Amino acid sequence: MIRIAAVGDVHLDEDVVGRFRPALEELPDCADALLLAGDLTRHGTEAEARCVAREFGGLGVPVITVLGNHDHQCDQVPQVVKVLEDAGITVLEGNGVVLDCAGGRLGVAGVKGFGGGFAGRCASDFGEPEMKAFVRTTTESADRLADALHSLDCDLLVALTHYAPVPDTLAGEPLEIYPFLGAYQLGQAIDSAPTALALHGHAHAGSERGTTPGGVRVRNVAHPVIKQAYSVFHLGDDLDQGEVSRLTASGT
Amino acid sequence: MTQHRDTGLGPPDEYLEAEIHRLLAEDPSVAEQGITVVRRETGLVLYGEVESSHRREEILRRVAERFPDLPVTSEIGVVRTEAPTQIEQLP
Repeated sequence: MIRIAAVGDVHLDEDVVGRFRPALEELPDCADALLLAGDLTRHGTEAEARCVAREFGGLGVPVITVLGNHDHQCDQVPQVVKVLEDAGITVLEGNGVVLDCAGGRLGVAGVKGFGGGFAGRCASDFGEPEMKAFVRTTTESADRLADALHSLDCDLLVALTHYAPVPDTLAGEPLEIYPFLGAYQLGQAIDSAPTALALHGHAHAGSERGTTPGGVRVRNVAHPVIKQAYSVFHLGDDLDQGEVSRLTASGT
Repeated sequence: MTQHRDTGLGPPDEYLEAEIHRLLAEDPSVAEQGITVVRRETGLVLYGEVESSHRREEILRRVAERFPDLPVTSEIGVVRTEAPTQIEQLP
């Protein structure tokens, strides 16, 4: 069994530092890794990234993240990535990482992703250069995710994005903004590999659970959706049924 | 952002909602995209979840500054950060 903790959209700045830390200190007892689904900061400044490093650094479990749209706002992505990596946080964008956990090798592939909408109601690579650039950003991101997923040699494969790969986990958001919240191409990439779980954030008013058309479990771990410091998922062939149960001190 | 002409009647509801949405997303001191604006007979009601009480106060301050004559009620919450008490098992 592999134990994954996850949260997204924590939007850190000085005013939030310290709020998550007491719960994060419990992670070594209940999870093999913490996955962050982007939007770590409010505006993507180096100073805000330092707040993330203070809050999510040195936790005693590996921390893996993708960036979100907020982390791009101030065009300081290289500085943000450097601050996070200096704090021991792995930042994924079109690549992956394999962790040796007690329950097996956990592979995590990540991209930020982008919008575009979902099958039958989505933007097309057609018309003005701006529209083509928009859709190509999405397809290129999905292609990078597929490549990263296929590149990993592991026992359990997880896809980590900021934008949603399916509309299921957007339920609660206005239908009109779905094309700004995710894209079906991300789901297609996830279904092209033997992915066990897909985690995303971005949709603050969405819902927790969904599946891709290929049957991969999708979980929206945006902080306002899960309403706790992080969610914990147990995955493995040795588990015999899907259920939600109490978390004990040993994490089982 | 386009400013409304002063007709003496105030902007139509939908433009008001759009203006507040953009104000909350694009104002660097707020940068919130998840706030819902509902206009009731008694005034505006703001719904959503933010990461600190400081951010909730800043949202109300900015909206009151832009629309000083509109009564505003806040239903904005601060998201809880407790450790989970349950896990989800995915075989």
